[in-house]
Amino acid sequence: MLRFIIITGLLLTTFAQADERTRTVLGPPNPDLAAGAEALLAGNPEEGVKLTLSGLGMATNREERLVGFSNLCAGYILLNQQSTALEYCDRALRIRPRHWRSLSNRALIYLQMKNYEKAEEDLRLAESISPNSDKVREVRGMLRDALEPVEPEVRVKDSDAVSIDEGRRQ
Amino acid sequence: MRAALLLVLLSLPVVALSQAVKESSTMAKTRVPSITAVPDYPEKARRDRIEGDVEVCFQIDRDGRPRKISVRRSSHRLLEKPSIRAVRASRYEPLPRNVEVPAIKTCRVFEFRLKPV
Repeated sequence: MLRFIIITGLLLTTFAQADERTRTVLGPPNPDLAAGAEALLAGNPEEGVKLTLSGLGMATNREERLVGFSNLCAGYILLNQQSTALEYCDRALRIRPRHWRSLSNRALIYLQMKNYEKAEEDLRLAESISPNSDKVREVRGMLRDALEPVEPEVRVKDSDAVSIDEGRRQ
Repeated sequence: MRAALLLVLLSLPVVALSQAVKESSTMAKTRVPSITAVPDYPEKARRDRIEGDVEVCFQIDRDGRPRKISVRRSSHRLLEKPSIRAVRASRYEPLPRNVEVPAIKTCRVFEFRLKPV
């Protein structure tokens, strides 16, 4: 579940990167960064983090650094290294304070650390920026489950059967 | 005496027939569920704390299978698919071969609720 949520976020980052690529230059501007995102998407956080770190070393602009930090944050969450992940989410958010994917990922880290107030703060901001994001909704659901868990229940009630002719007459 | 006996004998099948019609009509109105499938609570609905009711109407064929399933009213679209699926998986006791019945329509309400733990 956790892995799915983070990967969804990464997918969006990769698409944004791809859009930028097609508009500007031929071929990926930062092959390691792109390969790192792909590895993370494929569920290989070790390789993803390694390639993203290498890509960050070659980053030439703020946008690439933002993508790198954001993906490293997600990668370290997948590796269960919350404090390192938090560091990279903070760095991404220093570049762009309203980067909703990083906000959502940071909310997830705070949630895992049981720091519910900070998780709520980040999540509210992420929701105001991207209210329709399914990923943000998933994190909201996880926070709700942590604070107010619920048990689903479905009750079944039958009505009397009527003949169709009888039904038409009524 | 003979005529009276003949009259009695002739009237017997009529009584039996009307009894059968009565029975079949009762059976038709009280189709007994044999399998009642309960829908799964959709994960997205649980996550987003969506509750509500879905009323699904359908016909029951003589083998006890729900046919012509449709949603009559619904609180939320997310709850509709599992409700339809549950009706489709449900069964009623089949009717005996010799019983002639009209087509039957019935409705089932699914109440999706979330209880605090």
